[in-house]
Amino acid sequence: MTDINLKIYRFNPEEESVGKFVEYKVPYVDGMVVLDAVRYVQEKIDPTLAIRWNCKAAKCGSCSAEINNRPSLMCKTRVDSIGNNISVAPMGAYPNIKDLVTDISANWSILKKIPPFTPKPGMEKPWRIHPADVERSKEFKKCIECFLCQDVCHVIREHNTKYFGPRHMVKAASMDMHPLDVLDRSEFLDNEGGIGFCNITKCCQDVCPEHIHITDNAIIQEKERAADLKYDPIAMIIKRRKSRKEKVVK
Amino acid sequence: MVENVTATKNTGETRKPLIPVELTEANWRFWSFILLALIAIYLMTEFQVPVVQGLTDPFYSPTILVLPLVAGFRATCYAYRKDYHRHLFNHPNACNIDVRKDFKGRKYTGETRLFRLENYHRYFWYTAVAILPFFYYDLYIAFTYQAGEFTLSLGALLLILNTLWVTIYTFSCHYFRHATGGNIDCYSCPVNKKSVRRGFFNKISAINHHHEMFAWISLASFFLVDLFIRGVAAGLSINPILLNFKW
Repeated sequence: MTDINLKIYRFNPEEESVGKFVEYKVPYVDGMVVLDAVRYVQEKIDPTLAIRWNCKAAKCGSCSAEINNRPSLMCKTRVDSIGNNISVAPMGAYPNIKDLVTDISANWSILKKIPPFTPKPGMEKPWRIHPADVERSKEFKKCIECFLCQDVCHVIREHNTKYFGPRHMVKAASMDMHPLDVLDRSEFLDNEGGIGFCNITKCCQDVCPEHIHITDNAIIQEKERAADLKYDPIAMIIKRRKSRKEKVVK
Repeated sequence: MVENVTATKNTGETRKPLIPVELTEANWRFWSFILLALIAIYLMTEFQVPVVQGLTDPFYSPTILVLPLVAGFRATCYAYRKDYHRHLFNHPNACNIDVRKDFKGRKYTGETRLFRLENYHRYFWYTAVAILPFFYYDLYIAFTYQAGEFTLSLGALLLILNTLWVTIYTFSCHYFRHATGGNIDCYSCPVNKKSVRRGFFNKISAINHHHEMFAWISLASFFLVDLFIRGVAAGLSINPILLNFKW
């Protein structure tokens, strides 16, 4: 492969009101990822380029960007898989701070709204959990908080709604499906989290670098649980009887 | 926490119209779909299939009464929901940022307002399960329509495939997955310890993974098998007998 034509979105809020793409030539090295190319620009061509990265192993979730218009991790996207004309832009769902760095702090305030993990009262420590029960919530623990799912979600990006977003549905599901948690957050997600705004288009699932089945295993499960509580009289009766039975067993 | 939910539940929300904006906005994909559906209905009423060998066109028989239930089951299915939200309403039609036809300022309802009805998918699923035995009855008739003989024709073979696809589609449903074990968090707890639901849930999850594929294959199978049966009813010799023996 020849040199890479790398177009990077540049924006400095102190000097301009609108950003622009600037093209750089970067020499191709076998096995390089997009983050290598962007860092080459920062080290050799323009040290004022602002980027956020940390582990370069797809585990810290820092280097999220839109590579050729697809939300991806810069450290996980190999150059030979996308050709030598590459554009890199910051995540469009969040306010831009400088160049490729965005302000993702809105996520922390949403996370604070979700009812925290609430274990069953009176349990002896250390907690023992059967392996069969760990599997489901374990999948959601793989989330590296790169927020690519939030970035690709059209509800977050294009429509001003109260929807929390896929990352936060995963967070809530990880606690809801935890065998030792006693809360059911599905009704909260339906009323406060705007889960009804998710229309199952599965883009979040497509871009997840950890291959979490966000829609199938978290969002749809929460929607069905909310339907149990709000839309299904038969499920409501069964649930009430079951909770009475559980009380008797305890 | 529950107190907070109820406290904020009814505040700050302005009343919005029941009809979703997706059904009223100028969107050529949606309206061309509606136009095609209207043309199809017009053609079916204009070119009525004559009654041949006792077979009536389902459009003019009580069978049509089942259609809203089947259509409701498919329209509220998660697989089709994804497809029509993407390809009819363009919300969004693709995941890549540059080609999606969704943009800021465009109104959006999602699965709220009238589309909340999608939450009643489970009730349509119950009716779909009730309809399923009729497919198997049809199969039985297809094998034994000659008294005292077992006959396997090409049509019966197609009916087997059709029944199989519809059965897999019905039982790979997200609601069924939820009902079989998706709503349980603790399989090792005393109340669920002896339950077989975990194994069942894992198996349903495995086929649920391909639910969208089964949804489209079963729909295509529906149309093609119906077309074949109409062809046979109209007298075309397209139904060779593959196997025949007396009981």
